Amino acid sequence: MVERVLALEKKHRIAVAWAQDKNTINAINKAVTNGFAEAILIGKPQEIINTCKAAGVDSKSFNIIESDNEINASKEAVRMTKTGAADIVMKGLIGTDKFLKAVMDKEKGLMLPNAVLSYVGAIQIPAYHKLLFITDPAVIPFPDLEQKISMAGYAIEMAVRFGINKPRIALISASEKISPRFQNSVDYSIMCKMAEQGQIQNCIMDGPLDLFLACDKKSIEIKGVNTPVNGEADILLFPSLESCNPFYKGLMLFAQGEIGGLIRGTEKPVILMSRSESEKSKYYCIALSCLMA
Amino acid sequence: MVLKTLSELKNVIAGGPRKKLILAPAHDQHSLGAVIRAWKDNIIEPILIGDEAGILNICSENNYDITGLTIINEPDLEKSVEMSVKMASNKQADVLMKGKVGTSTLLKCVLNKEWGLRTGNLLSHFALFEVDTYHKVIAVTDVAMNIAPNLKDKIAIINNSVACLIKLGYNMPKVAILGAVEMVNENMEATLDAALLSKMNQRDQIRNCIIDGPLAFDNAVSLESAQHKGIRSEVAGDTDLLLMPDIEVGNVLYKSLVFFAKAKVAAVILGARVPIVLTSRSDSEQAKYDSILLSAAAS
Repeated sequence: MVERVLALEKKHRIAVAWAQDKNTINAINKAVTNGFAEAILIGKPQEIINTCKAAGVDSKSFNIIESDNEINASKEAVRMTKTGAADIVMKGLIGTDKFLKAVMDKEKGLMLPNAVLSYVGAIQIPAYHKLLFITDPAVIPFPDLEQKISMAGYAIEMAVRFGINKPRIALISASEKISPRFQNSVDYSIMCKMAEQGQIQNCIMDGPLDLFLACDKKSIEIKGVNTPVNGEADILLFPSLESCNPFYKGLMLFAQGEIGGLIRGTEKPVILMSRSESEKSKYYCIALSCLMA
Repeated sequence: MVLKTLSELKNVIAGGPRKKLILAPAHDQHSLGAVIRAWKDNIIEPILIGDEAGILNICSENNYDITGLTIINEPDLEKSVEMSVKMASNKQADVLMKGKVGTSTLLKCVLNKEWGLRTGNLLSHFALFEVDTYHKVIAVTDVAMNIAPNLKDKIAIINNSVACLIKLGYNMPKVAILGAVEMVNENMEATLDAALLSKMNQRDQIRNCIIDGPLAFDNAVSLESAQHKGIRSEVAGDTDLLLMPDIEVGNVLYKSLVFFAKAKVAAVILGARVPIVLTSRSDSEQAKYDSILLSAAAS
């Protein structure tokens, strides 16, 4: 991913709201050092400089803008991005809800008109032979059909940016069977037909599928299910936030996973990560957003 | 194998034992002629239950020679229907045919919990059309029985129809789920059900057939139309069975095929322990005859 970003030969300006966070500054610094980003750190200058010192980073390589509190810092970061003074906005040491409020502001925010706001993550794990895109671990609790279609579209768009021509997208459930009692299996069937008829494009879609059938060829043989995803999913679309979120966190904790992720549905990329996320994951997020900018 | 004409149904029953058909109440001008013709053609072995004097009257007026025909005298309309259903239930008949009685009276007996012909399946109407402008016969369901089938009903209707087509000699019949368009549209329930039925078929939850839909009527029956629209489907242009979204669409299609396209039609009620011939007075004698033929083949 980082190679692809470097190949763009472009420096993206990232506005960080309430930037005095060590992991964030380390990650930003790495992106700046590697030459694909310029940083605009918004917050209390002295605290930012102190954090840089503690992290062993030269604060002079960043553009620092003063702001007195986290909400104003978020507003300023969003304003700069909206007006073109920055290319990407990133959440620093602030709660997601407060940050998103600035992003979602109807007049001053970054929402595309009528767009669904959702989150796509790209996960790297040693146990799988390629990147795995997932959606949505962070924004939509229980996506309805329309939201699922948007989520699929965002994930496909991202996978295509990664050079995957027709990504294989698995619509994840507990089983591959369809039952009207499971609304997700109903939505998934409808989406598959839409993909077949070209109403959802640039993908090979199947679902409902359980995780085994989505990512493991052996399971397909054993179960004898005929699925075009063929155990080689590039994208996993989950039925709910509460199923997707533990999936990715489980991979982080127990399977040496690293994630980069991005909010979609905005005019400009928005980097939103859990404050407790590792420096490496934050770095990947920055690279990812540069790729999608 | 697929059928090109309704008369090929005769090949389906050829060589097998003659199927027993009960007509009740049999003193019915409108159905007796077709039953006797099918008997003379060696298609069925009829049992007539009804008012014997009335039956004999109709036969002599129409010069039907009924020497050797089984007649059971039961002048009461409801009792004759009850007797016919009980006999079918006791495997004394292979096909049941409605005579001079309202449909509701017959269905009440068929659905009787103690001695009726219930199988646990939904009853559904199955019609087979022969029309010059299509390369084979086409089955249409449900045009007369289920008013607004939900997804579960549609599955039952498909299963009934596919089982019937297999009895007629089909292997993996092609089923088109009819819609107004081939795109999925959230505001069109029929297209959503179609997507589900297709997927359930892919997952082997509906077996022994190939399902695709939604398909608009033209794409279901014309390969040219389907290709023109760029639709890739095993079913498009070669449909054996068309599933209707509801009775209104089905009924209008059925009648327009008969009146405007001069289609020949045979119809049967499926889902009971034996096929039931349920023709209406306005059906031609040929349609009644062909329905008897279809039922004998489907039993």
